[in-house]
Amino acid sequence: MNRNWISVLSVCAVMLGGCASAQRGAIPVVDAGVPLSSEGGTSSIPDGQSLEQDSGVVVMVPGGSSSAPIQTYPAPSGPSVAMPSSEPLPVGGYAMPVLPQPGAPSGIPAGGSLSADEQLDGPVLALLTTAQQQQGGGDLNGAASSLERAQRIAPREPQVLYRLAEVRLAQGDAAQAEQIARRGLTYAGGRPQLQASLWELIAQTREQQGDPQGAAQARERARVTL
Amino acid sequence: MTRPRSPRNPRSTHPRSRRKPAPSRAWLGWLFKLALVGSVLLAGLMVYFDAVVQEKFSGKRWTVPAKVYARPLELFAGLKLDKQDFLTELDALGYRRVAAANGPGMVSVAGNSIELGTRGFQFYEGAEPAQRVRVRFSGNYVAELSRANGGKLAVARLEPLLMGGLYPAHNEDRVLIQLDQTPANLLETLVAVEDRDYYKHFGVSPKSIARALWVNAAAGGVRQGGSTLTQQLVKNFYLTNERSLTRKATEALMALLLELHYSKQEILEAYLNEVFLGQDGQRAIHGFGLASQYYFSQPLSELKLEQVALLVGMVKGPSYYNPRRYPERALGRRDLVLDLLAEQAIITPAEAAVAKKKPLAVTQRGTMANTSYPAFMDLIKRQLREDYQEADLTEEGLRIFTSFDPIRQTEAEAALAETLKRLGSRKGVDEVEAAMVVTNPETGEVQALIGSRKPRFAGFNRAIDAVRPIGSLIKPAVYLTALERPSQYTLTSWLNDEPFSIKGQDGQVWSPQNYDRKAHGEIYLYQGLAYSYNLSTAKLGLELGVPKVLNTLGRLGVEQDWPAYPSMLLGAGGLSPLQVAGMYQTIANGGFNSPLRAIRSVLTADGEPLKRYPIQIQQRFDPGAIYLLQNAMQRVMHEGTGRSVYSQLPASLNLAGKTGTSNDSRDSWFAGFSQDLLAVVWLGRDDNGKTPLTGATGALQVWTSFMRKADPAPLDMPLPDNVTQAWIDGVTGQGSDPSCSNAVQMPYIRGSQPAAGSPCGLAAPVESVMDWVRGWVE
Repeated sequence: MNRNWISVLSVCAVMLGGCASAQRGAIPVVDAGVPLSSEGGTSSIPDGQSLEQDSGVVVMVPGGSSSAPIQTYPAPSGPSVAMPSSEPLPVGGYAMPVLPQPGAPSGIPAGGSLSADEQLDGPVLALLTTAQQQQGGGDLNGAASSLERAQRIAPREPQVLYRLAEVRLAQGDAAQAEQIARRGLTYAGGRPQLQASLWELIAQTREQQGDPQGAAQARERARVTL
Repeated sequence: MTRPRSPRNPRSTHPRSRRKPAPSRAWLGWLFKLALVGSVLLAGLMVYFDAVVQEKFSGKRWTVPAKVYARPLELFAGLKLDKQDFLTELDALGYRRVAAANGPGMVSVAGNSIELGTRGFQFYEGAEPAQRVRVRFSGNYVAELSRANGGKLAVARLEPLLMGGLYPAHNEDRVLIQLDQTPANLLETLVAVEDRDYYKHFGVSPKSIARALWVNAAAGGVRQGGSTLTQQLVKNFYLTNERSLTRKATEALMALLLELHYSKQEILEAYLNEVFLGQDGQRAIHGFGLASQYYFSQPLSELKLEQVALLVGMVKGPSYYNPRRYPERALGRRDLVLDLLAEQAIITPAEAAVAKKKPLAVTQRGTMANTSYPAFMDLIKRQLREDYQEADLTEEGLRIFTSFDPIRQTEAEAALAETLKRLGSRKGVDEVEAAMVVTNPETGEVQALIGSRKPRFAGFNRAIDAVRPIGSLIKPAVYLTALERPSQYTLTSWLNDEPFSIKGQDGQVWSPQNYDRKAHGEIYLYQGLAYSYNLSTAKLGLELGVPKVLNTLGRLGVEQDWPAYPSMLLGAGGLSPLQVAGMYQTIANGGFNSPLRAIRSVLTADGEPLKRYPIQIQQRFDPGAIYLLQNAMQRVMHEGTGRSVYSQLPASLNLAGKTGTSNDSRDSWFAGFSQDLLAVVWLGRDDNGKTPLTGATGALQVWTSFMRKADPAPLDMPLPDNVTQAWIDGVTGQGSDPSCSNAVQMPYIRGSQPAAGSPCGLAAPVESVMDWVRGWVE
């Protein structure tokens, strides 16, 4: 069989498919609605495979009133913060087309050799920094508010949700803190370090809610993910 | 019978009582007594006036309505923002286009690079400084944000657009200002035009009165008033508009007393805030602060000479010199004021000449800043009234920060207007009303709201109050209930789409029908949703149990106490568009429910934080089940009842949604979402009559038009841990292999996928394509 024959057949099939709209049994083969990859590859979404960089990356916050560093976590190499590879423009409203800027004072210590996609974007890092200063100054409401501002800019960044959950826990709203941490987990695929931290935070929220058993379960999850 | 005047009377300070004792004649005695009584009365009156003057002036002088603000535009590199939208927002905020933006409220545009001076603003999180920033656009994105001097800047906020206020019954509105916030020339101009001797007189000016008398006599009518600024203030502040000698006298007395107690500067500041400068429908525009916003969309401090001259000129007659209604008249008055300033050497003749060449430059009504958004304001008011007393809202000058997005609102209104116009040729469309809700599913914030096909018309807010049968919009709840049981149902389980009847408890027989009145036999579960088949959906719902489906609906966020009738499975129950948005929000947000929010925070009049409305989320569903449901709802768009969307939008834009049509097309619904934008559209008649529109031919068309304008991010839910993508044979539903030509990928809850098929080899694809074609032809 030669290739022409195949393509003629396929064209016929497509055309017939177009006519046969009443044909119900078949699922359309060409369907942009699912991550169909014609190359035969599997889904572009990381299937929970573990990644090389398991160690958390410590980012010193410049000029923070609190001396505690903001810890950031490596992002997976896969697009959990998805950016279709065919699309040069950012998706999700915040992941800018990252051009590694040599020597850019982004708050990342010079020692860390991070690839661009592991770094938090400028606005998000700036707002996390602001929130930390507010928290350090005892202004938990302001901190939570700044973190929600960051969340509006980067709604799918689990590190923002992690910080928000922390602040809400500090404010005494353990139930909400747990829910926000859980939302963070849904975006933390392929980032075991961050997942473990989120589970640990969930454990704390459950302790505060008087659920030691649930807390123990969460700690177990934290242990397993690492 | 005379009695000597008591010399001890300490209150007899009035000139008339200081007369020397007259010769003892009876009539003189009477006169004296009358004078005495009069002076006592007058003294009493003075004491009373004095109390009135001081009481009002020393206390809180004005009640200020709460101010409602739209979301501030956040600028950062990577932000998706159309350059034109950005400039439109800057126009609405009253930014002046200049060659070099070197101050607040100025903007200069050079190709894709825009420089502006932000004004700074007090937000809940803290103060945003006024700063000069540079924004470089690339395509529909902000490619770079920096300080104007090139310094790094991670994020900056514009000041938020003022949407409106919460007015008390008397509908007075003002933006309070202090003397140090006034632009150069304002005080001098005001004094020059209204009261040249202001700094010399003591409340009343005999000289002015004389001059006015002279002018009026010469002109043969009332041309000029002799009132000082103090008298004008007294009149507005304490008195009615009655024209009588008594009132005039009271006014003069009170003016004297006011000057006695307060400094010229204090009185002037009160005047600036009190003076009436226009009428905006029901709302009275008081003070230069609000007038500046109302006519120029700019803060008062930024006004230029010609703008100052216009506002001061309008004091004489705000309606007569209304620059929007009578631009030529207003222009003449402005130029007269400018001439007067030059005459009095407050400005040079050259300055006057330059200013007179400037246009009036008042903003048009109907632009973002001068447009009311009644539906959204209504939502805000309802939420505020749960937390505040009416008086707090109308008097305390609270600042309400909302999630309202004027860009999204403009797009939604345009989409509605254009679509109704396009559909207008169909009989009955002109009687169709409309409602629309736009939210951000990732934050749960309401961004835009339309309550009527005339969005400016404040009336029945259909987005909140029109409770209408939702038809097939209910179906995701049925399918979600099934997909939560992966051991029983997957997207490719077989359903029977065949007619059936059941007898309800009330003895009535229920026989659902498909929209096309046909049965479709064996179908995949997802196809029941994608093609919105009633027979298979109803059957599935009955298998699951109506109460179970209603429970799912409750978990999705819809509070209802609907009876568990089978007809509920096909959407006989009624919801408002806002409730539908809440339901779909939970689906769009990965199964996390959050009450829709429209208010972010509230500050006091002084900018102190008062209340925050934090994000509230609750996980209600397994992310895996939601992932499968979203997949089926994406197929609604790609192959099902929503597929017309891709005749206007690129196929790469993943969207999920559902059409809804109630019996006899009385309600046309569409609810759907992208990654970052959710919209619900309802079309129908207020009298619940029939329309020529289905969900697909009506509401979906509005929705599509809106999405095309808004250009959202494609839906892309992260794959949950418990979901796996499996290759199956599109015809048989059996496990397959990517090498087989009719293999398609479907998501399954791990463990529920069909057993993997074997590779088809090189020749096999052709074979199976032929099989497939044969299968169709037969």
